[in-house]
Amino acid sequence: MSSGLPGFTIVGLPDAAVRESRDRVRAAILSSGLPWPLRRLTVNLAPSGVRKGGAGLDLPIAIGLLLAAGELSPGCTEGLSFCGELGLNGSLRHVPGMIALADTAAPRGLVVPLCDVREAALVRGTEVRGAATLGDLVAVLRGRADWPAVPALAQKAPAPLPPDLADVQGQALGRRAVEVAAAGPHHLLMIGPPGSGKTMLAERLVGLLPTLTHAEALTVARIHSAAGCSVPDGELLERPPFRAPHHQSSIVSLVGGGSWSLRPGEVSLATNGVLFLDELGEFPVAALEALRQPLEEGLIRVSRAGGTVTFPAAFLLVAAMNPCPCGEGVYQGACTCSTSARARYRRRISAPLLDRFDLVVPLSRPNPDELLAATLGENSATVARRVADARLAGCQRASELPLAPDAGALLASKLRAGGLSARGLHKVTRVAQTVATLAGADVVSFAHTSEALSLRAGRAVVVA
Amino acid sequence: MSTGALPDLPPEAFAVALASMPAMGPARLRTLLSAEPPALAWARANEGSDASVRDVARTWQRHTALGIRVLLDGHPPYPERLADEPQAPAVLFCLGDPAALDERVATVALVGTRAPTRYGIGVAAQFGADLAAAGVSVVSGLALGIDGAAHEGACGAGAPPIGVVAGGLDHPYPRRHERLWERVASSGVIVSESPAGVPTEKWRFPVRNRLLAALSDVVVVVESRHHGGSRHTVDAAIERGLPVGAVPGSIRSATSEGTNALLADGAFPVCSTGDILVALALTGASVAVAPKATGRPTPEPQQPAGVDRLVFDLLTADPAPLDDLVRVSGMDLAELCGSLERLAQAGLARDVGGWWERA
Repeated sequence: MSSGLPGFTIVGLPDAAVRESRDRVRAAILSSGLPWPLRRLTVNLAPSGVRKGGAGLDLPIAIGLLLAAGELSPGCTEGLSFCGELGLNGSLRHVPGMIALADTAAPRGLVVPLCDVREAALVRGTEVRGAATLGDLVAVLRGRADWPAVPALAQKAPAPLPPDLADVQGQALGRRAVEVAAAGPHHLLMIGPPGSGKTMLAERLVGLLPTLTHAEALTVARIHSAAGCSVPDGELLERPPFRAPHHQSSIVSLVGGGSWSLRPGEVSLATNGVLFLDELGEFPVAALEALRQPLEEGLIRVSRAGGTVTFPAAFLLVAAMNPCPCGEGVYQGACTCSTSARARYRRRISAPLLDRFDLVVPLSRPNPDELLAATLGENSATVARRVADARLAGCQRASELPLAPDAGALLASKLRAGGLSARGLHKVTRVAQTVATLAGADVVSFAHTSEALSLRAGRAVVVA
Repeated sequence: MSTGALPDLPPEAFAVALASMPAMGPARLRTLLSAEPPALAWARANEGSDASVRDVARTWQRHTALGIRVLLDGHPPYPERLADEPQAPAVLFCLGDPAALDERVATVALVGTRAPTRYGIGVAAQFGADLAAAGVSVVSGLALGIDGAAHEGACGAGAPPIGVVAGGLDHPYPRRHERLWERVASSGVIVSESPAGVPTEKWRFPVRNRLLAALSDVVVVVESRHHGGSRHTVDAAIERGLPVGAVPGSIRSATSEGTNALLADGAFPVCSTGDILVALALTGASVAVAPKATGRPTPEPQQPAGVDRLVFDLLTADPAPLDDLVRVSGMDLAELCGSLERLAQAGLARDVGGWWERA
C-alpha cells in the first residue's frame, strides 16, 4: 500500500479469475460497510513464478488488504489460513476442491465459507472455522462475535439404492460373472448382442461391492473434490463410485490432464469403485491404450509441460461390447458383417488390453420364457453378502486354496492343446480361486476350474 | 506411338501389354485379339499415344520375373476346357503349372460364403481332401471362408488344386491367404484374367466366378447366404449345363439359406464326397480312396455316465449358449461347466466361443 494515484493491481501470474477478484474484493469490502483505502494497492502472489488460479484467493486478498489498511489488528489472524470466494455483496461462496486445499493449509486454523466447513472438516477436523459473509468474519476477528455455528444438516432422504440384481431375468452366466468380478475383484468384459443385458448387469455390479471403509471413502472424496465435483453436504460416500464415461469422451477427460491445472479424469474418479466402459469397441484406440498403466499400477501419471501429477486410479474395470459391428457375431453364421469389418472391429481391442480382463463373458439374449417368468433371481443383498464373505475369507487365508488333481489335469490338457497361454493359465487359476472361495470350498475342484474357463470363453469371440 | 524394332518379344508380350491398358475389359480384349495378332492389335489400340515397345518389354519382363505364365486363346497350353467357352478369356495368366488344367483330370468347384460356420469349414475341408485323394482337382476362388477351407483340404496330396482369382497374380488377395496362395501355386495352379498390377476390384468377382464355373465339371456350394456371391458361380454353371450340388444345412442357419434354397430349386444334395463323385459320373469303385462319411463321428465314442449323460443329451449339433443349458438342465453353473469340460475331454462336446455343441 503506497501513496500515489488510487489503484489496485494483482501481480504474480494470476489467471483471469484471480485478476477479476480485484472487482469482487472491492465490492465485497465496500458492501460489508468497511472503508476502501484510497491508496495505491499492490497485491503480490508469491511465489511469483507459479500460476495462480481460482476464485478461492478472494478472501485471503481481502483479509490482507484489511490488515494493511489497519482495519484488522495484525494479531487476530495469527496462525489462520483463509480460503473463499467473495460475492459482490460480501457473502462467502463455495470453492471447489476444498479437501485438497484443506490438506495443504497451515496447520493451526483454516477459515472457509460456511457451506464448505463440512467438506474441509473431513480432513482437518475441528480446526476448521466458517463464516457466511466477510462482515461476519471481520466481526469475529475483531473479537465482537463468536465463530458462527455450522448449520445442522437437514434430514435428507436416504441415498437411492443402486439397481437390484433381482431385475435381471435368466442370464445365469452374466449374473455369475458380476458376482465373481465383485468378489475377486476381477476386471470384466461382457460380449454380447444388443439386448443381452450388458449395461443392466454392469449397473448392478456396484451394488454387489462392499461398502467403502473410511479411508477408502476419504480417498474418493479427495479425488472428487480435486476434480471439482462437490462432496454433497460434506458427507463421505458409502457406496463405491460408478463412473460410466461415454465412448466419445476425450482422452484427457478419461485419464486426467489439463493445460496447467491438472485435473483427475474418469479413471481416477472411479477409484475404489467401478469404471464402466460401454461399447468398448467404439472408444478411441489411444484412450483404451491409456488405460493400461492404471490397470497395471493402480495409478496414473499425468505429465504436461507445466509438471507431473500422479493420481490414484485403482478401479474395477467393467466393459461391454458387441462381438462385431452388427452385434450378432457371438454365434458364427448369424453375423452379416464382412470378414474385414469384423477384423477391423476386433483390432480395436488390443491383445494387451484384452489380457487385463480376467473375465471375458459371452452373453446371449435372454430366453422369452425367462423374461416373462414371475420368479425373480437372487437379489443384490444376498449376492453382496456372499461377495463380502468371500472377500473376507480371501483376506484371512494365508495361502491360496489347493488345486484338485483332476482340475490340474484339466488345465494341463488345455495348456498342451494350446487353448490356454501361460498368462491365461494364471488368470484362470485366480478366477477359479474366487469361484471356490465364493462356494465356501476348501479346494479348487474340477467344476470350479471349468466354470473359470467358461467365464473366459468370450475371448474366442474377439481373438481372431 | 513408336514401333522401334525389338523383334525378340513374343506375341504374348503384346497381349499382356494390351490387357494391361487402362479401361481394358475382358470383352474388349477378346474383340481386339480375335481380329488380328497381338502385336498389330496392340499397335492399333495405341495409335496416337506415346506408348513404346519399350513399355511392352517392361510389362512383359515384369510378368516373367514374377513367374507368371501367359496363355493365349488358341495357342497351347491354353486349356482345352475353355475351347467351347463363348466368353473364354483371350489372355489367361497362370501361376504354377498350367498342366493342372488338363481336360482329362476331373474338376469340382467347391464354393461358398466368406463367413461360414465351423460346420461349413469342416465340410469344405473334408470334401477338398477327399476329392484330391480321389484324383479330382478342386477348383475354388481362394477367398476367405469356404473357398480357403476347400483348398486347405485339397493341398495335402492328390490331384493338383486350381485357384481362380479376380485380381493380378502379383498381389495375393486376400492377404490372409498369402501362404495358401503359395501352396496352391506350388502344388497346382492359380489362374486369373487380370495382368499383374491390376487391383482386385469388385466387378471382377462375377467375371472370376464365370471362369471358375468354366473350368469345373461340377459345382458344389457348401454354405451360402440368401444373396451370396456363390449365386454368380451357380448361374454361370447352369448356363454351361454343369451339375450343381449343394450341401444341406440347418434351416435355422443364415449361412445355409442359400444352399437350402438351391436344393429346393433342384440342385443335387451333397451329403458325402461319394455324392459328388457320382455326379462326376465316376463310379464309386474307380475312386482310389474310399471317401469317409461326413457329418457323423467315425469312432464310436464312449458313453457318458450319470449327470454327464443328462448334459450330453441336452447338447445338439447347433451350439447353445451356456445360459440356455443352465435353464434347461436346472443345474448349478459350476457343476454344468464341469460336466461339459468332462464331455469335452472325452471328445463328446465342443466349446465354440462359450457356446457348446455336440462334437
